Amino acid sequence: MQRDKFFKEIENVYHPNEKLIKTHCSYCGMQCGMNLRVNTSTNKIIGVEPRYDWPVTVGKMCPKGVTAYQQTNHDDRLLKPLIRDDASLKGTTKGFREASWDEAYDLIAKKFTELQENYGKDSLSVFSGVSMTNEKCYLTGKFARVALGTKYIDYNGRFCMSSAAGGFLRSLGVDRGSTLPWTDIHETDCLFIAGSNTAECHPTSIFRLWNVQERGGYIIVVDPRETPIARRADVHLDIRPGTDLALANGILHLLIENGFTDEQFVNNHTNGFEETRELVKEFTPEYTSEITGVDPEKIIRAAEIYGKAPNAVVMFARGIEQQHKGVDNVSAYTNMALVTGKIGRPKSGVATFTGQGNGQGGREHGQKSDLLPGYRKITNPEHVREVCQFWGISEDEMPKAGVSAYELFELMAKKEIRGLYLLCSNPAVSAPNLNFVRETLKNLDFMVCADFYLSESAEFADVILPSVTWSEDEGTTTNLEGRIIKINKAQEPVGESKPDWQMQVELAERLGRGKYFSHLKTARDVADEFRAASKGGYADYYGATWEKIEKQDGVFWPCKDENDEGTPHMFLDKKFYHPDGKAKICALPYRKSAEEPDETYPLRMTNGRVVYHYLSGNQTRRIPFLRDMCPEPFIEVHPQTAEKYKISHEEEVRLYTRRGEAFYKVKITEAIRPDTVFVPYHFGHEKSINLLTIAALDPMSRMPEFKVCAAQIEKLDREKV
Amino acid sequence: MKKRLYIELENCIGCRSCLAACTQCGGHEERNRNYVYDVNPLVSRQTMPLMCLHCVNPACARSCPAQAIQIHETGAVLSALVEKCIGCQNCTIACPYGIPKFDEEQNLMYKCDLCIDRTKDGIPPMCASVCPSNTLQWLTEEEIEQKQKQYNMSNGKWVTSQPYLEGETNVKVNLPGILQGITKLY
Ligand code: SF4
Ligand code: SF4
Ligand code: SF4
Repeated sequence: MQRDKFFKEIENVYHPNEKLIKTHCSYCGMQCGMNLRVNTSTNKIIGVEPRYDWPVTVGKMCPKGVTAYQQTNHDDRLLKPLIRDDASLKGTTKGFREASWDEAYDLIAKKFTELQENYGKDSLSVFSGVSMTNEKCYLTGKFARVALGTKYIDYNGRFCMSSAAGGFLRSLGVDRGSTLPWTDIHETDCLFIAGSNTAECHPTSIFRLWNVQERGGYIIVVDPRETPIARRADVHLDIRPGTDLALANGILHLLIENGFTDEQFVNNHTNGFEETRELVKEFTPEYTSEITGVDPEKIIRAAEIYGKAPNAVVMFARGIEQQHKGVDNVSAYTNMALVTGKIGRPKSGVATFTGQGNGQGGREHGQKSDLLPGYRKITNPEHVREVCQFWGISEDEMPKAGVSAYELFELMAKKEIRGLYLLCSNPAVSAPNLNFVRETLKNLDFMVCADFYLSESAEFADVILPSVTWSEDEGTTTNLEGRIIKINKAQEPVGESKPDWQMQVELAERLGRGKYFSHLKTARDVADEFRAASKGGYADYYGATWEKIEKQDGVFWPCKDENDEGTPHMFLDKKFYHPDGKAKICALPYRKSAEEPDETYPLRMTNGRVVYHYLSGNQTRRIPFLRDMCPEPFIEVHPQTAEKYKISHEEEVRLYTRRGEAFYKVKITEAIRPDTVFVPYHFGHEKSINLLTIAALDPMSRMPEFKVCAAQIEKLDREKV
Repeated sequence: MKKRLYIELENCIGCRSCLAACTQCGGHEERNRNYVYDVNPLVSRQTMPLMCLHCVNPACARSCPAQAIQIHETGAVLSALVEKCIGCQNCTIACPYGIPKFDEEQNLMYKCDLCIDRTKDGIPPMCASVCPSNTLQWLTEEEIEQKQKQYNMSNGKWVTSQPYLEGETNVKVNLPGILQGITKLY
């Protein structure tokens, strides 16, 4: 497939007594290619070797990828199931004893059955994640609906990709994170990047970004901080957190006013132009500047550069999506491409930087409260019929739509949900408003957690099931391009750990639902069932066999059958996925953040990643190199702000909001707005920034507003400390 | 075809993947031999790798009283030979960039050997293999010449090892500022 100028034929180094297993990184949506080095006498993973022949990343990796192999044989691995008999110890690491799988399964089956007999089917819930293969994501959805029979399943993608999904569905009628392959990115003429700290969160995209500038193209960056990409950008729109919708409307207004509309494209392939044109008129550069805090000249320059670009790509990430208007932000930035017709052709389009390794595939196949395999809707009777037939259950057995991730905790607090099966996620760190979330986890009647380390969330469990790392199982993930790729197994599971799909099959058997699961004996069996289940849905994976993935360096969905090579570029025929084939230009009135700064809480608080850590840090905080590079969180403060609070570099301060407080060391830097403070979110217990974040949900995606709320700093009294 | 390490300092994003990767080369005993520093952290996020430049006439080797620092036929200035190094640390002091590191326990100097296990066979060193920003690249002489043409500065000088850095080096360095000379597409 696409092999571009960065691709070089390079031999790998083979050390004596070692073999190389081709696979991909376990972490972010880049899914960088890598080879795991396996010692052929111990059959253990011992290191990493670049995978030069992977066309997307050509051997490159960030420090997380380079050290990812250290997860597998780590001392902290859980080797046996653990049971805690004394519920008063919940929320701590204490009281666990080792148990056999049989004992653990028996206890889970007994407790789950009791809860459902006493409180109904929906008293159980499943909370899952997308840092695992498509096969596991698919089976988790089936496990919840068919084995447990509960409607309450949702997943951590709700905190990650749900706004991008909602925005793309509304604007384009389909949710594929990138409308073009990454091998196009460096060939475009202008990149407009909003709310993405690409250098730290998706580092292996950077060589393509820089190449745009080397060729004489432009990079425009929207970010409240001067991130490494903002530092080098041609225009840095240093936006006030939470005001993206105004900026996008302001730029759209200028594009239309200054004659950059592609009228033919707009007339033939879109709806909603006139209405949107009217709405954005109000957003003059001056008015936009008032809301966003960005100099009007910069807004004008950015619109001009994007407008004039022969080809351009609009890209964004969690900065704009993790807001209570995240879906609107996505549609508003997508408007730029639709109005100018810079979509549906090579080197132009829109893309979101998918956060988790399988953030794309994992949201398509039925882990979301209202979705079924192949991106089918549980609210669509036709879709339900198709899936019921495939699974062999009757239609009235199919649970209805449930609620979103954060709302699950609200139902737990109300005791409507009493049991939880948690896997592949660490919400005791990653959910917003953590004081509330941790309290609800503590008060559950019964909680199971499957993980390969004892995470902060596992501390709330009654039973912990040891799962495997990505390197001890096989299957597919879908990277940020929409390319389905193959994760290969490099060693046998350590201790008694098992892949999640196997636990779910065995548990289903205990729960008397074996006839729907027992035929799944290998990862391959799950893969074959999963591909067939997606058939006919718009995220159709049927033709993406493991063999084809191997042969073609991945397969872009949709891929409907054996002869279909997949779809690297979306909409080349200018057909969007709405019934009339047209895309929707959306008229979106500006809304303020849920919590605007005031006298008591005058600062805007935002958060994000550092390059050394991934999500809740449950994995990366255990890797010595990564931990040493960033052992603890900090608060970034502009020197002017520091002066106002009389605080200095490295001094510990109290940061607090209406929901909670935490203590962080100050990092003074001019590379942030004076009205904004930033804290990385990868840390647990009393260091979690999510103790302070707000759970204001987007009305469409139910994404919490992680990225902005009002906060205050308190200087600590040194005498007392 | 002779290849060289080529460094484009403007590109660095400070990810320190080069440090993590250095530990992965055979014979490196999982210790990294390179550095990345924050240029002015109170002001901006600019960072730069600090690498051994594999000087043609290396001060470290010249200063070594025990001849422990060998120069490979490829030009790579190797890590100290265990059997010869006397742990005097002359090399660290002599090196204008402070590259050689010191292992107190073993009383032994260790430094970047340009991943000689790899580069002797023309395979890129670990750091240049993984560097996500193309700050560190492994290029042929022709490709480096091409770079020199591309980044011909207004002062007529190719912003590289000379005359800015000490002596002639096998590694070629392009200092920050390369974007200034670029003609925009539109
Ligand atoms: S974390 Fe992301 S960018 Fe880093 S190596 Fe892994 S997949 Fe690549
Ligand atoms: S790997 Fe490259 S971008 Fe990252 S710190 Fe090293 S030189 Fe800089
Ligand atoms: S060339 Fe090899 S030894 Fe030298 S810094 Fe790079 S990775 Fe380390």
